[in-house]
Amino acid sequence: MKKATLGSNRAMWVMLTPYLLLLLAFGIIPVIMAIFEVPHESRTNPDGGWDAFKIVLSDFRLLPAVVNVLGFIAIYLPLTIFFVILMSLMLDLNPSKWKKYLRMSYIVPAAISGPVAVLVWYVIFSPTMSPLKDVLSKFGITKSEDVWQTKNLVYLFAIMAFFNIAGSWILIQYGSLQTISYEIIEAARVDGCTPFQLARRIKIPQIKKYIVYMGVLIGAGGLQLFVEPQLLNTGVYVGIAESWSLDQLAFELAFTNGDFGGAAALSLVLLIPTLVGALLVIFKTDMFEETEVSRKKVQE
Amino acid sequence: MQSILTRGASRAKLRQESRLTGFLVNAWLLFFAVFSVVPMIWMLLAPTKEDAEITNRHPLTFGNSSGYKKAWDNLLFFDDGVMKQWVWNSIWYTACIVIIATITASMAGFVISASKLPFKRAFLVSTLVTMLVPPMALVVPIFILMDKIGLMDNPWGVILVASLYPFGAFLSYIYYTNTIPKELYEAAKIDGCSDFKLYTKIAVPLSGPLISILAFFAFIGNWANYFLPYILLPSSENYTLPIGMGFLFYSTPAINPAVGATSVPVYKPEIALTGVFVALPILIVFLLSQKRLVRGMLAGSIKE
Repeated sequence: MKKATLGSNRAMWVMLTPYLLLLLAFGIIPVIMAIFEVPHESRTNPDGGWDAFKIVLSDFRLLPAVVNVLGFIAIYLPLTIFFVILMSLMLDLNPSKWKKYLRMSYIVPAAISGPVAVLVWYVIFSPTMSPLKDVLSKFGITKSEDVWQTKNLVYLFAIMAFFNIAGSWILIQYGSLQTISYEIIEAARVDGCTPFQLARRIKIPQIKKYIVYMGVLIGAGGLQLFVEPQLLNTGVYVGIAESWSLDQLAFELAFTNGDFGGAAALSLVLLIPTLVGALLVIFKTDMFEETEVSRKKVQE
Repeated sequence: MQSILTRGASRAKLRQESRLTGFLVNAWLLFFAVFSVVPMIWMLLAPTKEDAEITNRHPLTFGNSSGYKKAWDNLLFFDDGVMKQWVWNSIWYTACIVIIATITASMAGFVISASKLPFKRAFLVSTLVTMLVPPMALVVPIFILMDKIGLMDNPWGVILVASLYPFGAFLSYIYYTNTIPKELYEAAKIDGCSDFKLYTKIAVPLSGPLISILAFFAFIGNWANYFLPYILLPSSENYTLPIGMGFLFYSTPAINPAVGATSVPVYKPEIALTGVFVALPILIVFLLSQKRLVRGMLAGSIKE
């Protein structure tokens, strides 16, 4: 029988082209353009040239922005991972039909992001409007300004981001726990495993890959902090979060200072570690080993 | 093995803990559920009240059934009713993005899975890199590109950029690799099927779960997206709802008293109503699509 040849003809290229064009136009070409933009003359780099990198790296706002974002991630990432694993293990302890309503409730804050999150958390921490006003008064919070201070922002943004994302990840990790075979759990129970031992020795190791995946995506998303500090700074408490995050600093360089060379340089400086991180995840973890990214898989 | 994208996640009940532990665990789970829904309930109730009532009355009480209509009418006083334009913009931008992103990602995933094209591995790697690199590193470069090609302040600039959907392409690749055996394609080829028909007549009819997952993630990723439209669409008539909501923050005294008194009656109930417009569609889609969320995300890291 004649062996059919799959997919090497023009139709395959035609079907790939729309995505390929988008990938080239908005994934690759902007990076090349940014490289060409860096040496352009600007107010901060009047002579032009690659000094733009030096200028942006010595900008007095860069280090505080890096510290803010890293501090935010240092709180938000472990808090979210620990809490999500704990909650999904708790949900998995004794599955019952009524718990599906709990899972539905957990996902509600996923709809509260960006400007909606700023509004909601502004209210939550307002002693006059908050549904938790009794709790706030117990902590001695009598006015919103007690909470909304620059020194507290790292915690406030971590709380906002945590509530936005925790519910979806609880559902996802609960789903990952459902992929563990019934026989493994039953065998461990017969051997006398307590729920804690079961979680530590069986369940968590079985879903480790999904936990790493969650950590990578949450960490990458954590770098993307713009709307909350920007809106808080311009629309609620003016000046509270000036150039607070790296995104804000890039925005300010480009659109307030008109220094596109500097903004492009900052983008490239940020791109390099995230690109290295992405390549490490792809090639140095087993996350994508069963895809054709792996040379082993290609040879099969 | 069946793909996680199509697999049900049922398992027999197992009682694994003592009654006291069970009670404490359930009490905590219930407490967190209540805590999770309170902010949304506040936001849904706020437009039913007057501005003063938001401060004076209990935060979780219902005001007046005509409150929503009044808040909407007040919003229409702002900038000659630009709110209606923001609602429409959000709908049509997101619809275009969902359609373009879903179709292009699905076709790309199919081609990567079924073809023997050269540079396939490099293509897959570049898709994964684009998926994992945070978009912030690309936003300023994209602004520079849009400025050069004349798509600044043009909705199609946002729509096209947001239609690049590497996570969707990767999900499609996983789906087609795990659910459609290559033998099926080969049999169809022997029967005279062209490569394009392999996609339209074989892959697409078997792609129901995939398409719904792709559309779900494209929707939730773009309906409330702020950074990209904020940078690429400076004119208020091109704003989406989230950008418009931010605009209300800093151009009315609703949240920021420093703005000073204005004749436009936009206060906290009106801002809360805008928040409802932004959050409610996402909430509804999330509640209807929990299984898609779980299967999609688990499939994105799958090792089967």
